[in-house]
Amino acid sequence: MSSNVQSEKFRGSNVKGQADLFLGPFYSLLRKEVMRFLKVSMQTILTPMVSSLLYLLIFGVSLGAYIQMKGGISYLEFLIPGLVMMGCLNNAFQNSSSSIIIAKFSGDLEDLKVAPISYTQIILAVALGGLVRGVVVGTITYVVGAIFCYFKADTVIAIHHPLWLLVFIVLGGLSFSLLGLAAAFWAKSFDQMAAVNSFILLPLMYLGGVFFSIDNLHPFWQSIARANPLIYFINGVRYGILGVSDVTPEHACVVALVTLVLMYWLAFRTLARASFLRW
Amino acid sequence: MTASENSAGVTKDTVSPLLVQNLSKNYGAIEAVRNASFNLNKGEVFGLLGPNGAGKTSIISCIVTLEKPTSGSIFVGGFDVQKNPREAKRNVGFVPQEIINHGYFNVEEILSFQSGYFGLLHNRERTDYILHELRLYEHRHKKVKQLSGGMKRRLLIAKALVHSPQLLLLDEPTAGVDIELREQLWQFVKKLKAEGVTVLLTTHYLEEAEQLCDRVGLIDKGEIKMVESTQFLIDKFTGRSVRVKFRNVVAPRDFELRTGETVGDLINKEKLDVNQIEDINISEGTLEDAFRRVIYQ
Repeated sequence: MSSNVQSEKFRGSNVKGQADLFLGPFYSLLRKEVMRFLKVSMQTILTPMVSSLLYLLIFGVSLGAYIQMKGGISYLEFLIPGLVMMGCLNNAFQNSSSSIIIAKFSGDLEDLKVAPISYTQIILAVALGGLVRGVVVGTITYVVGAIFCYFKADTVIAIHHPLWLLVFIVLGGLSFSLLGLAAAFWAKSFDQMAAVNSFILLPLMYLGGVFFSIDNLHPFWQSIARANPLIYFINGVRYGILGVSDVTPEHACVVALVTLVLMYWLAFRTLARASFLRW
Repeated sequence: MTASENSAGVTKDTVSPLLVQNLSKNYGAIEAVRNASFNLNKGEVFGLLGPNGAGKTSIISCIVTLEKPTSGSIFVGGFDVQKNPREAKRNVGFVPQEIINHGYFNVEEILSFQSGYFGLLHNRERTDYILHELRLYEHRHKKVKQLSGGMKRRLLIAKALVHSPQLLLLDEPTAGVDIELREQLWQFVKKLKAEGVTVLLTTHYLEEAEQLCDRVGLIDKGEIKMVESTQFLIDKFTGRSVRVKFRNVVAPRDFELRTGETVGDLINKEKLDVNQIEDINISEGTLEDAFRRVIYQ
């Protein structure tokens, strides 16, 4: 249309010769996923931080004074790893699900289908994007919680087992990011997506041992609670930060790995059957 | 053209940028496309013309794998889009009918992502070239919602071209755009053709198809009725109309010239008095006339 073009030499050249179909699509989609949540950081990073602060104030300070935990730790200390993991998992889920839902609504999900991107590349890029947001929110929650704990209880929360912490953050973040991706590709309306949030994600979160130790539950409810994979993710992180946990880290790690494999399978199966057409 | 395949799903004859063979697409009980077959020649502009709901978009959606064919096969550059979709899709640029929003990102970012999807992580020179060509360069830092309708449509075209596709699919690219932009897009399509890009175009504007297309396929109710060169269709299905004005007669008389018939033949046939003829006006047949005759009669 315009004739004021300098780079005529490029017009007919075969740029496909430089194409890297292995890393290129994956890296681009991952970059897009990360840039997307950074562009709305007020909503994706600051809001979860405020939520964590409120939880710390209400549960950690107000109610925490009346709750005794085993192992000589305060309820405030007990609460912080749970909030870190809850923030990480919730935001990993929200990142991948909202990204796909928005793309379905605006139509740019079609861009992925018509490009030479494999399902594996889509899954890995979206899952990693969710993990990055989960890690950012989890880290901020930890820092806020540690500062809060220092000024309120004069206690420094040191990380006892950083490698275990990393393992559970990565496994948990990826698993919930994959769950978000599967839910979003499955959903055919905003209502269906909201139903997954309300009837699956929130119960799993709030009954996942963020606010209580399963040792304090009746044996019947303990056995029910142990069916919730979040118990293992959250206790794994609690072990990583505080060095105490309701389950052994090895046991928790096996459950976390199995959950991750199941979530990948679910995401792949859903994606392979999903429509990329706009709503 | 025969599409004899090897085990990788690649045809031996890799000349045709697009080959559609016996394609059918059903949506439940509705047959959107019925046994459609056609192929494109390298470097041509091919128009797929038909009324609303004829099946044009369904065919394009099957080519880009947005829809799965009920039966039949499609080859892009020799690659079967079902068996080898990634190889097939890297040769295709697709411009959809509807505008895409891309809420958070600006034009430059959108093209960068799009290049990456096609494996091109360092594609700045090409994207700058496209931005200049489509007069979007000065708007490259704007988000989609800040662009005018015409710019949004040009952005769709820019996205489809960042990876230098051999085959460009334009699904009603000028729907709802003003005359000036439409003519700019026509010029751009002609330029792409000159660069060797093969173009498949669906449009409601038959004047557009007549100007741009080397060949057209006429489709109605999911069936390809005819695939011919544009000029052949006009010649075969339309006549030239001749309006003769006679001296001292107010109302002119209209005649139709059949293919191969000359004005002289007409004068002889109708026994017209040449000395009484004041003026003769000849109008050529249009693709629209041919379209009406094939589809509606």
